[in-house]
Amino acid sequence: MYAGTIQSMLDVLSAGTASFISVQELLNGLTVGMVYVLLASGLSVIFGVMHVINFAHGELYAFGAYFAAAIVTPLGGGTGFYVALVVAPLLVGVMGVAIERFTVRPLYGRDPLYHILLTFGLVLVLNDLIKLIWGTSPRRIARPEYLTGPIEMVGMTFSRYSFFIIGFGGALALGVWALLKYTRYGLIIRAGAQDRRMVRNLGISIDRYYSLVFGMGAALAAVAGLIFTAGRGQVVPGIGFDIIISAFVIVVLGGLGSFRGAVVGGLGVGLLQESIIRPGVPDLQLPLVPENVLAPVNMVLGLLPQLEGMVIFVLMIGVLIFRPRGLFGTEFEEDSGELLTGSSGGFLTDSGRFKLGIAMIGLLALVPLGSGMLPSPLSVRLIMTMLTWGLFALALDFIMGYTGLVSLGHALFWGIGAYVSGTVLFNFTESAFVAAGVALLVGGLVAWIVGYFSIRVHGVYFAMITLAFAELFHTSLTKIDGWAVGFCETTPVCSAEAARDIQLTGGSEGLFGFSSYWGLGGVGVELEEIGIFLGPVTLTGDLLLYYIILGVVVASFFITRRMLQSPFGAVLKGIRENEQRVRFLGYDPTVYKRRAFVVSGIFATLAGVIFALNESFVSPEAAEWLKSGEVVVMVILGGMGTLFGPILGAFTFFGLEALLQEETLFGPFIWAGSLVGLGGPIEGVSATVAERWRLFLGSTFVLFVVFLPRGLVSVPELVQQRVPTRFDPTNVPADPEGGDD
Amino acid sequence: MHICQYRESDGMRTDNQIQKKRRDFLKTTAAGSAVALTGLSGCIGSTDDDGGDGEDGGTTDDGTDFDEVTLGVLEPFTGDFAELATERNQGETLAIDQVNASDEYDFEFNVAEYDTQLSSEDGVQAAKDAIESDGAQFLTGAISSSVALAINEVAANQQVVYTPGAADVSITGSNCNEYVFRFETNTAQIAEVTTQWLADKGWTNLHYQIADYAYGDSVLEEVDSRMSERSGDYERLGTTRSAPAAQNFDSAITEIEENVDAADALVVGATGGHLIRFLVQAAGRGLKEDIPIVTTTGSFRVVRGGAGSAAYDVYSGTRYVPSIDTGTNPQFVEDYQAEYDAPPDNFSRVGYGSVLMLANGIQEAGSKDPDDVRDVLPGMTHETIFGDVAFRECDQQASNPVWMGQNVAPEEGETAAVELLRNLDGEAAQPACDTTGCEL
Repeated sequence: MYAGTIQSMLDVLSAGTASFISVQELLNGLTVGMVYVLLASGLSVIFGVMHVINFAHGELYAFGAYFAAAIVTPLGGGTGFYVALVVAPLLVGVMGVAIERFTVRPLYGRDPLYHILLTFGLVLVLNDLIKLIWGTSPRRIARPEYLTGPIEMVGMTFSRYSFFIIGFGGALALGVWALLKYTRYGLIIRAGAQDRRMVRNLGISIDRYYSLVFGMGAALAAVAGLIFTAGRGQVVPGIGFDIIISAFVIVVLGGLGSFRGAVVGGLGVGLLQESIIRPGVPDLQLPLVPENVLAPVNMVLGLLPQLEGMVIFVLMIGVLIFRPRGLFGTEFEEDSGELLTGSSGGFLTDSGRFKLGIAMIGLLALVPLGSGMLPSPLSVRLIMTMLTWGLFALALDFIMGYTGLVSLGHALFWGIGAYVSGTVLFNFTESAFVAAGVALLVGGLVAWIVGYFSIRVHGVYFAMITLAFAELFHTSLTKIDGWAVGFCETTPVCSAEAARDIQLTGGSEGLFGFSSYWGLGGVGVELEEIGIFLGPVTLTGDLLLYYIILGVVVASFFITRRMLQSPFGAVLKGIRENEQRVRFLGYDPTVYKRRAFVVSGIFATLAGVIFALNESFVSPEAAEWLKSGEVVVMVILGGMGTLFGPILGAFTFFGLEALLQEETLFGPFIWAGSLVGLGGPIEGVSATVAERWRLFLGSTFVLFVVFLPRGLVSVPELVQQRVPTRFDPTNVPADPEGGDD
Repeated sequence: MHICQYRESDGMRTDNQIQKKRRDFLKTTAAGSAVALTGLSGCIGSTDDDGGDGEDGGTTDDGTDFDEVTLGVLEPFTGDFAELATERNQGETLAIDQVNASDEYDFEFNVAEYDTQLSSEDGVQAAKDAIESDGAQFLTGAISSSVALAINEVAANQQVVYTPGAADVSITGSNCNEYVFRFETNTAQIAEVTTQWLADKGWTNLHYQIADYAYGDSVLEEVDSRMSERSGDYERLGTTRSAPAAQNFDSAITEIEENVDAADALVVGATGGHLIRFLVQAAGRGLKEDIPIVTTTGSFRVVRGGAGSAAYDVYSGTRYVPSIDTGTNPQFVEDYQAEYDAPPDNFSRVGYGSVLMLANGIQEAGSKDPDDVRDVLPGMTHETIFGDVAFRECDQQASNPVWMGQNVAPEEGETAAVELLRNLDGEAAQPACDTTGCEL
């Protein structure tokens, strides 16, 4: 009887209301959706209460899976699985509490964007910590026998484990909802999410609840990681990276800070991914609705699979533009924390800094002449990479340090620079000038369009919308060639055969094997085939490219510096200090911010062009979100709002990376340790540091965000504050925030 | 410094020149430096004037002083292919140790190891660092076809010999170059035996599940084209694709299920963690009971071990099993077992064989100059674990034998055993030279 009832319910589901979602798809969607719910609800509640966008949430998800694998392996898939289901989330919960207590708490009161920066540093730390503890090889989470394999129901085959995920995840989500809805603890959290100040004014110390909320969010992420990866077959170190962007999409769609939003968003995105945006979905048929009425809808549905993976980013952008607070979110109070930019220069005067800068440029110009004498691990190649990323960081600083808009999608412009120039060089002409010109034009245009939509929102919403645009581009890179062929096959505008010959992006492999010459119209020189002979030294190939890159970076620095000294720059700085006052003075901040975004986008595109010219290769990794995060790290390391600080940050980032990987660095310590019988352990530590350098780099970055938020450029100022000097009336900084050059 | 007249014939170029013209990179005298010492001073000119001192190869007048050869080992130690990389690296290390301890070779290998992860950018960076910072004249490694294709180009540009570990056909096909020599069996060779077997079984209605990158596409193309030639009844019923790092295959499996009644078999073009996850999830959904699953890498021990019982009954084109009694394989298996306390698998033998064949070439050339080694390797016969094998001159692909196999439940433990069903010798498995797309 039950079977008959279920069958008729399934019939209704699969044929009555919406034939384009089968029962199997519904089950798949709910399974993935429930994992999203657990992951996103923690993320959302943490944001709602503390206004912390936790980039490290994905890594906590991964830790849940890894703890579970470590528990289940010795205990077996029976008891071990259930022990893991309790212990792993608890352990990750404790980690969450520790993270909040020791890293996030010192940042309360600062601009919420610092939380993004901090948690991005934690991503690097936690990801490498996983590799350090459990290695890089995949692991498995065994399940009880009765939770594996298929189950036959009403003539259909389903995965047993899917029912477990839906049941267990649903019960847990319900429990969290009840906790938030019916307990005093939940009441305070909900009140805090709506208005923290009001809760404080009522005499409740909401700060005490922060650690618990963070711990609870982390534990939910751990459960999601455990139950999902146990059913997928493998636990690998990158699972946190892979899922965090989906979690952000869900949180934005549902509404930042809303538990209900996370549930609806999670289930909605899960169902979307597993049903209408996958290929092979039959046309929609509805009872009583004529086919011709549904034809346009089916046409759109037919196109959706082509946009597989992109639809959710389009939705995310749409929501952020038209309803930034999401489906169920509320406008949250913007913290009035300060964005710490600029530096007075400390004991370095303006002219002192200028001379230091010129000396640095001079030193960099000498590098290729003595490249054979460079101390390890420095190399010309490394410095070229540092310069290219220095330009990228400078570009980001133009928008981040001078208008306070933190873009988490600048990889978009790096990717456009690399891809457009690569495409031109690969398919059309090998002129580096033409390739660069076309790329800058496209980069500028895209920056204007992205800026037009993004500048409407601010704060974390701006960070999220720029991230969505970059992910949209990144996802499209593997599809563009297919679209071009498809378009030419269906329209007379172009020949399908010609489209197949042209590789615009090269799919998942990217474009490689292109070369360039420096000239126009087929007349020019290839750097590999000319040389400048300076006494015993010949400069050719990459060494000549080195000077081109150095020239471009120096020129970009002076151009942007000049822009910031102009009335345009004065308005930008005014916007950073007080946007309202700038508006009262008759300037439209939106217009100025958009212009700044375009300038920033063009210089970031230029960095991408240099990358492509240098490497003769470009792949989809050029636009991955990690790049956007890394460049933010560089800006903060150096000091935002200074232009030269981010360049310094790029040099420090790659310098630290190379140095930490240089095992000879530890030679003296190993030698000294060997004198007291500790040579072996110290050697072991040095090998670990060399291998897991991101762990130490991330830790350095976290320390910078907490203790040195103005970056390296503020060191002279700090030194001056701590070293007592005799009073010198000429040594008083004229402009305490004047570190703009 | 004074400026000299630029030699137009050498340096000027036009768009009409070959698109992918390789760089005539100025060889360096010192590792990590692109600065050449020359007798010229203060002028700009063609680098053809550098005199070609030949020191980059480290060859002296009698051509025998090449006691140290630097080998860049580039493997994906992190990510989906981490276990395959470990196997390959163990094979490489065994071969390097044997070369260094042997009197048959007049040189020793110095090794510079890099982790390419699963990233083409990291792979290119690692290759360039190995060449420019460590002075590597030879490169080996990369299991991902996408990464190997990117390193192919670095090898061509920097003129260093490279032995890839990836199977995409185009590596020694349309993207081949004179510096790339592959001991790994490629997808065309595996597809040959797989499609012969499929056609003989009468399994001509196929659905394809493809990892959406070079290797998956290569499997699709090779199997599809061969089946079209072999059987008039052949029909490609559908193709599902999943991202290389996909964790969740639910929607792909649902789509495959829609074809199970009409399809004779499901062909899966994937490897490593991707294939393991697919097999585990397919078993969880009961797909294995509904349709035979045919893979091209399912016989790898890492896949059999990772998928556990989900790998039972799966068919696979097979590149290697340690039980074969050919060439030097028994000795290799014994040495490997003694060193690592485990039997070798495909990637162990690829790493081992690639390094030994490279060493043979260096010894034969009597030089560590990659150009000299490049000249002697094509067509040179090597005694390998498969018996006598050569890099074919037209594409520099090793003529390896291939097998069709099936994973079966083991007598003990959980990891499936491989039962060989059919064998194809090296020459029969290789496609004709004029069909590879390789122009050397």
